[in-house]
Amino acid sequence: MANERLRILEDVEKDIAVVLQCAGNIVLELSKDKHNASFLDRQLVQFQTSISRVENELGAQIRYLTQVATGQPHEGSTYSTRKDCQMSLNRAEYAKVKLGELGRTCEAMLEQQQQI
Amino acid sequence: MANQRVLPQSKETLLQNYNKRLKDDIKSIMDNFTEIVKTAKIEDETQVSRPTQAEQDHYEMHVRAANIVRAGESLMKLVSDLKQFLILNDFPSVNDAISQQNQQLRALQDECDKKLTSLRDEIAVDLYELEEEYYSSSYSQWSSTDLPLCEAYRRRDSWASPDSSSSSTQDDREEADRTPSQEANAQHHVNGHGTTATEKP
Repeated sequence: MANERLRILEDVEKDIAVVLQCAGNIVLELSKDKHNASFLDRQLVQFQTSISRVENELGAQIRYLTQVATGQPHEGSTYSTRKDCQMSLNRAEYAKVKLGELGRTCEAMLEQQQQI
Repeated sequence: MANQRVLPQSKETLLQNYNKRLKDDIKSIMDNFTEIVKTAKIEDETQVSRPTQAEQDHYEMHVRAANIVRAGESLMKLVSDLKQFLILNDFPSVNDAISQQNQQLRALQDECDKKLTSLRDEIAVDLYELEEEYYSSSYSQWSSTDLPLCEAYRRRDSWASPDSSSSSTQDDREEADRTPSQEANAQHHVNGHGTTATEKP
């Protein structure tokens, strides 16, 4: 859900860039002696679409935040589960180390017996 | 209480400020663009000479174009502020993210512990045999107070069925006397955390 909202804001940023791009293209086309009317129309439609999308999306985000925001900081954390998981991984690592020692001890004994 | 009342107002003021910035920037872009397009129209009758009018229009278009760019940049800054505000104050999504992360970590922990438990079960049999071999060899230096795993299991079996062997009733009594400490030591050793007197050769 959080990623979705942030992704929407990323799209809004792209739309703002499109607005400026379209405005620049329209002015550039108007500066020529002969204008391409269809190009102008397309750019204008895109300009209007993008700017209305920017306004609507940002307004919606601000309305959502007005409903959801409190004055308090969030005090949740994943510390306890992260700690438990880390302890579990440490147990596994310790078991691995001990098994390694056991294996080396057994191999050393076997080599000793073979030499004898 | 006064502090609690202040904070929500500042949040509300902040959001009203965001609204105002949004409306002002959109209005600025639309107005300036409209004026640029209007200025682009060539008029036959002008109040000043054509070159002067052209120069004026040129300057005006520059200024309006700069205003459009400034408004666009202000909108980008607004989006950045909204992203920051969202990350810090959107509690539903923060709660979702926390619970999702907790779920993943718990799943990883359960998997790890399950694998360790199965490993323990597999190794217990081999360890039993290894200890039996080791402690019955000449290398072991264990004391009577520190039982190896195999001996602990053997004695526990004999405690579990006292009628099974009558040849060592006295031993059983002695063992019964020593039961709490031996069993504690056995348990201590069985769990694998005890300090043993055995040394590797």
